[in-house]
Amino acid sequence: MLVSASVGVVIGALTVSWPTAIRAASPQGETKRVNPNAQAIADFQKRVEEYAKLHRKLESTIPPLPKEATPEQIDAHQRALGRLIQQARKNEAAGAIFDRDVRPVFRRLLHGLFTGPDGKKFREAIMDENPGESVKLAVNGRYPDTIPLSSVPPQILKALPPLPEELEYRFIQNSLILLDVHAHIIVDYLTAAVPR
Amino acid sequence: MRTCRSIAAGLVIAAALTASALGLIGGSELAASAQARPRVELPNREDSFKFAVLGDFGTGDRGQYQLAEQMANLRTRFPYELVITVGDNIYGGERPQDMKRKFEDPYKPLLDAGVKFYASLGNHDDRAQARYAPFNMEGKTYYTFKAPKQDVRFFALETDYLRPQQVTWLQQEIGRSDEKWKIPYFHHPLYSSGGRHGGQADVAAVLEPIFVKNDVSVVFAGHDHFYERVKPQKGIVYFVTGSGGKLRKGDINPRSGLTAVGFDTDLAFLAAEINGDQLYFNAISRTGAIIDSGVIERRKQE
Repeated sequence: MLVSASVGVVIGALTVSWPTAIRAASPQGETKRVNPNAQAIADFQKRVEEYAKLHRKLESTIPPLPKEATPEQIDAHQRALGRLIQQARKNEAAGAIFDRDVRPVFRRLLHGLFTGPDGKKFREAIMDENPGESVKLAVNGRYPDTIPLSSVPPQILKALPPLPEELEYRFIQNSLILLDVHAHIIVDYLTAAVPR
Repeated sequence: MRTCRSIAAGLVIAAALTASALGLIGGSELAASAQARPRVELPNREDSFKFAVLGDFGTGDRGQYQLAEQMANLRTRFPYELVITVGDNIYGGERPQDMKRKFEDPYKPLLDAGVKFYASLGNHDDRAQARYAPFNMEGKTYYTFKAPKQDVRFFALETDYLRPQQVTWLQQEIGRSDEKWKIPYFHHPLYSSGGRHGGQADVAAVLEPIFVKNDVSVVFAGHDHFYERVKPQKGIVYFVTGSGGKLRKGDINPRSGLTAVGFDTDLAFLAAEINGDQLYFNAISRTGAIIDSGVIERRKQE
């Protein structure tokens, strides 16, 4: 039996419902669509998981990084993994993971958060040392070594769909990116994620 | 000129310096002034636990090296065993040559002497630092460890990306910890008088209730590039020690109402010593002047 579940996250006066499964089963075993947003999110999470599988597969082909590594090992590992991912995803373009169906869902959620009662606080947090226009948004592009990462408020992380440990959400100006933290490359991005 | 900020408030009995020592005069005058003022000495007991706190340091610039020299000098007479870092460990590139110039070289005397660094990560730090052996993070961006002496446990947190899993982990780990001293440290200050950054309200909303509930007495953070000891908040003393290599002169807002002691005209680090229920501290500048000192009494359950 398929399970329908949703995780409710309360931020200030705003309640955001973040469905994590998309279908409910009737007693006869028929499935029916219960929430179009949930479908988009479930598909997003599938794409994220597929990416994570690719990442792990590629990472397994290079020497593993010990938990206590030298700078040479860390740098070589990161760049080797980055090259493998860039090669494997060379035909991917923006929207490969943030596809057209899920983009409005993310934007609605984030707009709700940033215009809600804690919105000012969230905006201050993500704009604090936000790299702004110094980072070029490009799928497979390396996040510049010299540019700090924007902080992501814990309340926003709680509201967004969870990511595997290989990936993080970060903000560049008002865009949301998916950052591969092992390879230090931008996997995909969503423009106009934060209202101006 | 600011007034003397020497206080004896709440849990802190501190001897701080005058306004001149808060940065309105130069280093040599500051040192002279520091000598003229009473201060709380570090007891330097044989069986106490001694450590240093350093933040926002990995620039590779001259100032970082000079402060590192002061750290090494101090250790010749105050043999601290470890250094906790409150993030922004490395600025800019993190290639092997950068790690050498911005970390391994300046702290070589300490590393050679067996002093261990336990890092937390800031917004300038690549997550890969968690695997950099000298940072002793064992691949984790947040972790806990017990101090080698006294009844002390540290909690290194990653406030730049505080996933719900990390919050749950912290609640569990700090809740089950039976050490007398539970000391969290991380990058983003919950309280700070910094004009550039200031306190991180979103992070405070999540972490402060955990600290209060679990009888935390003292918290170390960085991010703002100065030294500040914040007046006790809900019984907890917060330090901002983001002055290990970067400095934002004049950034402390004197009207924040938060500052017990602030120092924003030169680099500084903190030396601390725990003995039983007391934590003694000296904040030391690049010139070797003690710019703040005091003793914090551990919070105890009612």
